[in-house]
Parts: sequence; structure tokens; C-alpha cells
Amino acid sequence: MKAFTYLRPGDGAEAVALLREHGPDARVIAGGQSLLLALKDRSARPPVLVSLRGVPELAGVRVEGDELVVGATTTYAQLTRAELPGWQATIAAVAGDLADRPVRTMGTIGGGLCAADPRYDVLTLVTGVGARLEVLSSAGRRVLTPAEFFAPGGGTRLEPGDVLTAIRFPGTAAWDGVVFEKFRTRVFDAALASVLCAVRLDPDGALAALQLTVGAAVPVPVVAVQTGSALVGTSAAAVDVDAVARDVVTEVLPGRGDTPALQYARELVSALTRRALVRALAHPRS
Amino acid sequence: MTQAPPRPTSTAPVKLVGQSVPRKEDLALLTGTARFIDDVKLPGMLYAKILRSPVAHARVRSIDTSRARQMPGVVDVLCGADLVGRVKPWGDLMQDLLVGDHTPFAVDKVLYEGQELAAVVAETKYQALDALEAIEIDLEELPALVDPEAAMAPGAGLIQEGITYEFGDGNIFDRYRVRIGDADAAAEEADVVVRQRFTTNRQAGAALDPHGCVADYDTFTRELTIWSSTQSIYMVRDVLADVLQIPRNKVRVRIPEVGAGFGSKAQIFPYEVIASIFSMRLGRPVHLVLGRKEIFQSGTARNGQVRYAELMCRRDGTITGYRDYVVHNCGAFSVWGNQVLHIGTNVGMLPYAIPNIRIDGDIVHTNTAPGGALRGFGIPQTIWAKEQLVDMAAAELGMDPLELRAKNVIRPETFPFTTPMGQIIDSTSMYDCLHTSAEAIGWAEKKAHPVPYEGVGLAVSMKYTSCRHPSFDTDLSAVRLRLETDGTVTIYSSDVTHGQSHATMLAQIVADGLGVGFEKITLAAPDSVTSPFGLGTYASRGAAVLGTACRLATERLRERVLTIAAHVLEANVEDLDIGNDRVYIKGLPDSGLYLEILASFAAYRTHQLPPGFEPTLEVVATYDTPTEREGADGSGNLSVTYSAAAHSAHVRVDPETGYVRVVDYAMAHDTGVVINPLVVEGQHQGGFLMGLGMVLGEDYLYDADGHLTNASFATYLAPTATDMPELTKIYEIPAPSLTIPGGQKGAGESGTGPVPAAVGNAVFDATGVRFTELPITPQKMLLALREKERQGAVTFRFPDDMPDFTGPRTKAEWPEPDLTDAVDFDWDDLPGFDDEDDEDDVDGGPAL
Ligand SMILES: Cc1cc2nc3c(=O)[nH]c(=O)nc-3n(C[C@H](O)[C@H](O)[C@H](O)COP(=O)(O)OP(=O)(O)OC[C@H]3O[C@@H](n4cnc5c(N)ncnc54)[C@H](O)[C@@H]3O)c2cc1C
Repeated sequence: MKAFTYLRPGDGAEAVALLREHGPDARVIAGGQSLLLALKDRSARPPVLVSLRGVPELAGVRVEGDELVVGATTTYAQLTRAELPGWQATIAAVAGDLADRPVRTMGTIGGGLCAADPRYDVLTLVTGVGARLEVLSSAGRRVLTPAEFFAPGGGTRLEPGDVLTAIRFPGTAAWDGVVFEKFRTRVFDAALASVLCAVRLDPDGALAALQLTVGAAVPVPVVAVQTGSALVGTSAAAVDVDAVARDVVTEVLPGRGDTPALQYARELVSALTRRALVRALAHPRS
Repeated sequence: MTQAPPRPTSTAPVKLVGQSVPRKEDLALLTGTARFIDDVKLPGMLYAKILRSPVAHARVRSIDTSRARQMPGVVDVLCGADLVGRVKPWGDLMQDLLVGDHTPFAVDKVLYEGQELAAVVAETKYQALDALEAIEIDLEELPALVDPEAAMAPGAGLIQEGITYEFGDGNIFDRYRVRIGDADAAAEEADVVVRQRFTTNRQAGAALDPHGCVADYDTFTRELTIWSSTQSIYMVRDVLADVLQIPRNKVRVRIPEVGAGFGSKAQIFPYEVIASIFSMRLGRPVHLVLGRKEIFQSGTARNGQVRYAELMCRRDGTITGYRDYVVHNCGAFSVWGNQVLHIGTNVGMLPYAIPNIRIDGDIVHTNTAPGGALRGFGIPQTIWAKEQLVDMAAAELGMDPLELRAKNVIRPETFPFTTPMGQIIDSTSMYDCLHTSAEAIGWAEKKAHPVPYEGVGLAVSMKYTSCRHPSFDTDLSAVRLRLETDGTVTIYSSDVTHGQSHATMLAQIVADGLGVGFEKITLAAPDSVTSPFGLGTYASRGAAVLGTACRLATERLRERVLTIAAHVLEANVEDLDIGNDRVYIKGLPDSGLYLEILASFAAYRTHQLPPGFEPTLEVVATYDTPTEREGADGSGNLSVTYSAAAHSAHVRVDPETGYVRVVDYAMAHDTGVVINPLVVEGQHQGGFLMGLGMVLGEDYLYDADGHLTNASFATYLAPTATDMPELTKIYEIPAPSLTIPGGQKGAGESGTGPVPAAVGNAVFDATGVRFTELPITPQKMLLALREKERQGAVTFRFPDDMPDFTGPRTKAEWPEPDLTDAVDFDWDDLPGFDDEDDEDDVDGGPAL
């Protein structure tokens, strides 16, 4: 670790002002669960850290109109305890089944998204359910889609001085069911592959929307748009799960397996897609 | 007249050996008050950090430390060139080399990634780290030799350049041979011969407590004190004194709490030399504790092997022969590496009495992390190959693997029983262990009703209890015991306890022998100034070897105590007994003289002593095991006694992800007389966990340039608590050792040896995939299943039957061992050898 100056703004505006004042090398620190590791091995050497811990407006869960607004510094542990209705319960479930207890206690959903390691579950989550990300900078506030927030090759498109303030999840009516599946070698490891399946049904039981999103095995989560849209109108009972899994793999990880790791990633994506679909279609409205 | 209340009836003192006495060690560990190496803080202490090579193989063009010297807080800087001619290389003793090959820093050449290049000492660790970044290194990178067989190939570059080995030039630094009976003839005559090439992985010790030391040189007394997180204080002391060329009584090794080692701390390391030199130059204490990445890179890892193994059987299942050609990867340096092949293979032949054995081993250097001792010391590698061959033979013979093993495991009518390999089995319950373990897993049931993707597997092994290392001829431990004048007892031992519960186990022995309360007995921290000479804690030797020394010391002390008591009480020694903290007339345990009174006579009232009795109650006992040296044919009884282990695994394979879960596991062991069942069970659980890591996840992943790509706990897949099955099936079937006076056998490593093979056999049972390499990762498992389906095969070998496998698939393609004999060595043949230079500087101290 190198020496740094630790600043504690009281609100978002002050945080942004401090970042602007200290220039591009200053970094935001939230729970520190990713950043501290980088500081310790000196792969990150920010002279100034702007802590978001004492900024009340950035933490907590609230409903605004249709949307569920989760403050960026809401910890995984807090999310786990939030009693969320309908499909949104999956948000709490995802937060409760990642990393280990100390990391969940300190780590924040915003930190996970800004660290933008594709193996982190919340990237797949926000992409898969179509959340929007609210960013504050000295130029003002903007709201981004995941595709705008994440860079296509990995990482985020945030500029120095940007602070992610909140994640705006769609309302309970957006989906009837959301299922998240992942595979990791050890319980506390980040995922090797993850798949999120979000479904909305017509009153007659046909698929009104199906969004299958693949994470971890790709630099940034990818929605299998073609596969999903091709199934719209199909009755849930008629979905050929194996065929869908094959289509997702072809769409998201095209080509033949050249490296064993890539071959394996395809196998995992296929397996996780099947699992997510089966669960999502079995009880779409629970 | 009122009647006096009846006296309570006398109770005979309770014996503690055999009971699960809670550990003395736990309080400090559980309350976080134990002081580990990083907690050692001395007045005026400086902090040192090491600059390590970023590449695996290179010539050193230059190392410029001038800028680092100018950095804030920096007190001193050293690199290899600074020490040439000032320190003696080491590593000769254990490796059987004429000259040591270890130096504190790389001088001309870097041999592995992470090798020491330079070091800085500064007022704070952060200043030391800053200064490391200011050191300019110029390295000319050379092609790295990562694969041991590639390192042996003709034309491969030379790794260690300055050393002439017995077998001539090249990267083979030692050879190993076993010639028992006639294995070639046995192969001709056998009804069934099974053969397979097996490889094994590199596994880290991964002790949570880091490697490190604090060196403190007193410029006035010229005594160097070094606190070190080591398993062996005298190995550190004697080698360090030799390296620095100072007298051994001027080096004092002290021990903080040591948070495990698993073999990875059973030798001296460059950082101990570097910290010592800094402290000697500066006259100030120097703290040098390694980070996790450094430990992965340089803290010694399990030796990897390639084994071309063959097992021969008669139609009735009798095992008649074993033949093997082993390529043994020791990394760039290895203090213990060649011994791992010798001992691990010799003892790895058990628990079968195989009449014909032929083994050739090439022990090679590669540009990878130093190899060394690790829990099991070569046994898990040998068993991985041999116990899978046993299952393959069972399949060929159409026999149940349990039946085949039952037919072959050692089960003599009388003990001691000598095997063709020369091991003297003084007792064993191997046969019962095998059946107990198999029954516990539900072997017959599961075999009769197979479930898709589930399987069961067996493996058996025997672990040596301590060892007479072929490279040096000793296997001893010692205990000094003092009855203090308040009736407490102090135990002095140099064998470092670091998870083995010596404080508890030795106190149980002393409590029983001396009749002293368990709580009154203390184990002093190992310190080379006060502790008797002993080899250290490794090789499952604590209970049997150190425990025996302790028993002998206890008997001697008891005899002296009784002699004083007999004199004072005017009784015969034969009429006296000892217990409840006193000496009493037999049958009257509530009467008698307290030990503290007798001890104070021995120290403060010597006129009370019998005439001619030498005062004080302090004794020393040393126990050297009655073991043999290794014979020229590889035979010999290297170990005093052998612990049996029979393991059964029940696994479930997820055909969609390749994840292998060990759902149930049964272990039956013979640890002889168990001193403390709680401790022994803990050892078996820990041993199993290390075996599980070896078979399912752990490995040093190198790229083609010799970079270790997973040198962190985030990426190195050591198993955690959640990967463990519920270990409810741990059985002890004691066959007390007939050689060790208390009957105990080693416990520390029995839990590891059979695990990889048992799980490998279970995976085959579940999937038809025979893994010939380690570890069995989910990725490999799944790709093997897919390729097996694609080929429509019933059985399949991974990686041998994968399309991209480039190694030899059949015996016809196997390499032949080179049978040339060692070169006869003659000093006169060495160019430039001049014995005029051979002067010893003993008391002057080096000019560092
Ligand atoms: C042992 C371990 C296991 C883990 N396992 C998992 C797992 O299974 N699944 C999973 O999803 N994750 C896992 N993680 C990662 C974990 O989710 C992240 O470490 C955590 O989310 C980071 O959040 P934080 O608040 O600690 O961020 P920090 O470490 O404080 O910050 C991370 C990065 O984001 C930036 N940043 C943080 N907040 C903001 C903000 N509001 N605006 C702008 N920039 C910001 C920081 O500058 C930094 O670059 C694991 C981590 C560890 C250590």
C-alpha cells in the first residue's frame, strides 16, 4: 500500500467536488472490498481516496414511482435483508449468495458495478433485468442503460470524477419471474459463468418477454437478444429448453471451442441456461 | 465421643494418555493472543523486503541499487554480487551434494520466478517497499524449462550451471533406483500387467502464518538471535552458522507461535540469511516477513512427478511385481526434493509385500518454484499411481477392488514382519482398516446398485512414522525435563509444535509418569540456547519419536524423585508410588510427600538428599529410532513403525458442470496407541483436507515462460470448509507399535496419502473416466465426459485420450530410463581446484 489522503464528503455534491478538485488520480472508495486488494499489492496507487461511506443519500432502498431505487453504497448485507416484492426478491437473493460474510457486510452494489469484473453477479443482474444506472458528476446527473454504463470490451465507461449514485430497477410489473444461476468452483469464488433469465407472460401463458443474459464467461454481460425475442409468443410449456440453451451459446459465444477454457465456458452457459429456464418457466409468477 | 467422619476412599490417579484432553494450545489461539512471527517487535527494529525476479530464467546483467540507497528511510541494500565469497552456499547436506547450491540471492543467473535478487532494509516496511521499486535490474531472459521431461531432453538448456552432478551434465541432479527381486521376469510371468503414465501436481504448503523471521545481532557478544517461523530450530541454526561461518553457539534460534508449516518450513530459506546479514551489518533487529505471493513463489511446493508405472498380478489376484520410471520435478532448487522420491517410493510400496520391484527415478531441476517436503512426503504421489493401477488390475481380473486389496494387504501371522522392500512392520491393522472403511461407505451396497454419475473408490497406504533420511543418518528427538521447586514441571524440546499439540500430548505423558497435575506442566518455547538437540517437527514424528524421548525422560525423572522420597520416608523404592502430585506408600494415595517438597530438597536442602545423590531434578533423554540406512538396492527399514490408512470415497459428478463433490468419506487408521483422540482426529481431518485439495483443485499453474499465474489465495484453489464432506466416519483400529515403547504411531500424514487415489478411483467408478493427471478440476472433468461421449467410449483416460494430448499414450512410446552409473567423482578432476584456499575462519566472524 502507498500513503494516501482519505477524504469523507457528507453528500454526493461534495464527493463530486472533491474528485474534481483532486484530479483524475483521486479514486472513490465504497466498501473497499475490491479496491483495498489493489491498494495492498500496489496495483492501484491513488494519492487521494474519496470515501462514500458517510454519504447517507447514496445508501438505502426506496421506491420511486414504478422503480425500485437502490443507493449505490447499499451493502450486499443490507440488500439481503431488504424485503422486496415479486421478482425483486431475486435482487436480495443474488446479494445474499455471493462472496463471503465479511465481503457482503462491507461490499456495496455500486462498488461491484464500478469494479465491473464480469464475474461479479450484480453486472449480470442489472443487465438482465434492464436496470438503469444513475451517475453524478460535476456536469450534473445522467441515467445510463447497462449497455451505456459498461464498456463493450470490459470495465465501465465512467470518467474520472463520476460517481454512481443509484441503481434504478424496473417495477414489479416488468417481469413475472427472474431466475439467476451461476457456477463457481468454491462457494466464496466469483462466478465462472452466470445466466439470468427474466420472463413476462401474457394472460394466456404465452411468453410476452424473455431475456436471457450471460455473464462472467464474457468480458461484459451479454443479452441473447435474438434467442429471447424469437421465443416471444411461444407458450411457456412449449419451450424446448435444450434448443434454447444451444441458441444462447451460439449467440453469445459463437465459434467452435479453440481453448479448453472457452469450450468449458460454452458448456457452463448451456447448463446454466437450461437450469435458469426450467426454474423460470416452472413457476413464472412466484 | 463423636465419630470422625469417614475418610474419603482413596482414588487411584486417572491416566491421561488415551483421553481427549482439551488442548493447552487452544486458549491463546482462540482468543487471538498468540504471538506469531509478524507480531515480534524488538526495540529499534528495522524492516526488510526482498526484490524477487519477475522472470523464471535469465542471466543477470546488472543490478543497480544506488538509487534505492538514497530513498527515504533506507538503511542498507544488498544484492547477490555484494555477498559473493562472503557466505557459504548451502543445501549440500540434505541433497547429498558435495557443494551447496543455495545462495541468498541470484548472482549470475535467475533460476525461477520469485528468486531473490536484492533486498532493502528501512525504518518502515513501506519505505523498504518504495526502495525496492528504485532498484534497477537488467536481466537477459532465457527460455524457461517448465516441464520436467522437457528439462531432461537432449539439447535442453542447463538450469544450474555451476554444479557438476554425479550423473554428469544436465538438469538431472540425482537418480534413484530400486532393485528388489526381478520385476522384469515378474512381468513376463504375470497373468495380468496393467500400466499407465500418471502425473501429479505441485501443491503449496499454504500455511496461514507466513514464512518470516526477525534477526537480532548483538555486536558486543557477537551473538545472532533469530526468531523464525520454522519447523526445525537446529536445521536453521546449524545451516545459518555454516553459511555465515560463525560458531554454532553464537547463533540462537527462537520460536514464536508457528501457524503451521506442513513441511514447507522444514528448512532454512534465503530470507533468514538475508535478515541475519542485515542485522550483523547494522547491529539492529531486522524484521523480514514474506507476503503471500512470495510464499507461493518461493516457500517450497510439493514435488510434481511423472510416473510410468506397471503393476503385475497373477490370475488369483496376487500382486507379484511393480515397475516404475519416475521423473521427479524438484523445481529450480530443492533442499529435500530428492529425499521425497526415495522415501515416498520406498514406503509407497506398502501396504503390499511386493516381491519384485524395479524403479528408476530421474530427479530433475526445472525453472519452477523450489520443491520440497509437503504433508505425505511423496506417499500421495506414489499412491496416486499405484492404487489406481490396483483398480485397473481388478477390472482386468474381473475382481472386486476391495477383494483384490484384501488379498494383498499385509496381514502376517506374526510380527514383526519384514517385506521384500525391507520394511519391518512391527504391527498393523491394515486388513481391518480396509474392511471397516469400505463397510462404512456402503461399498457392497453401492457396487450392487450403481447410481449414474455416482461412484465409490478405495485406496490404502501406509505412512512412515518419522524416517532415517537416506541423505543423513539420524532420526532423533530429545526432551529435557525439570521438576521445579514448586512442583510444576517444565518440558524443553527443540521440536517446534505448530499444530501437533506437543504441549498437550507431552504433558499427558509426563502427567501419567510423574503423577503431576496436567495443569502444572508447561512446554517451554523452543530455543536453541535451552532446548536439547533434536531434528524438528516433520514426518509425523512428534508423538512417536519426541513422545518416546519424553517418556524416557519422565522415567528417569521419576526414578530420581522416588530415590529421594525413599530416602526421606525411609522406605523401599518398590513400596512407593507416584500420583496426585505426591509420592506415597502403595495403596495410600492420599498420604505421602508432595513433589514440591522433594524438588525443593533437591535444590535448596541438599542435606536431605540420599548420600551421593547429585542434586536437582533435571534430566535429558534422547531417542534415536532403531531404523536402517537405505541399501544400494533401495531396500531398508527407513521408519520405526508404519501407520495404516484405508480410505473410501463416495463422489457425485455433476454431468453438466463437471463439479466433483465428495459426498461421503470414510477413513480407518491405525495410529497405534492414541495419546489424545481429539488431537489425532484433528490431524486426520486436516490431512484429508490437504489430500482433497491435491485431487480436486490445487496446482501451480505456470505459463510457458515459467510465470506462476495463480500465486494468491483468490486464484489458487485450496479447498475451504464448505468443500469438506461431513467427516463422521473416522475410525481408529489400534495395533500398538511393538518398537515404540508407548505403542504410538505417527498421525499427521495418514489422512493425506490415499485421498487423491481414492477420489480418482471413485471418479472412474462414477464416470468411466480415469484421470491420470492431477488435479481433477470441473473443467477437465466436463471436457473428458464430452470427449468420451463423442468417441462413444465406455472408458476413457484424461488427458491421454484427448485429441490434443501430445504425451506418450502407450508403453511403446514410453521413454526408457538411462541406466548409466554415476560418474566416479575425484576432486583432482575439478578444474582449478586448489586446496590451499581451504582455511576456516572460526572465531573472527565474517566481514559482512
Ligand atoms: C473474497 C471475495 C469474494 C468475492 N466473491 C464475489 C462473488 O461471488 N460475486 C460477486 O459478485 N462479487 C464477489 N466479490 C466482489 C465484490 O462484490 C466486490 O468486491 C464488491 O462489490 C466491491 O464493492 P465495494 O463497495 O467494496 O467497492 P470498492 O472496492 O470500494 O470499489 C471498487 C471500485 O469501484 C469504484 N467505486 C466504488 N463505488 C463507486 C461509486 N459509487 N461510484 C464510482 N466508482 C465507485 C472504486 O473506485 C473502485 O475502483 C468478491 C470479493 C472478494 C474480496
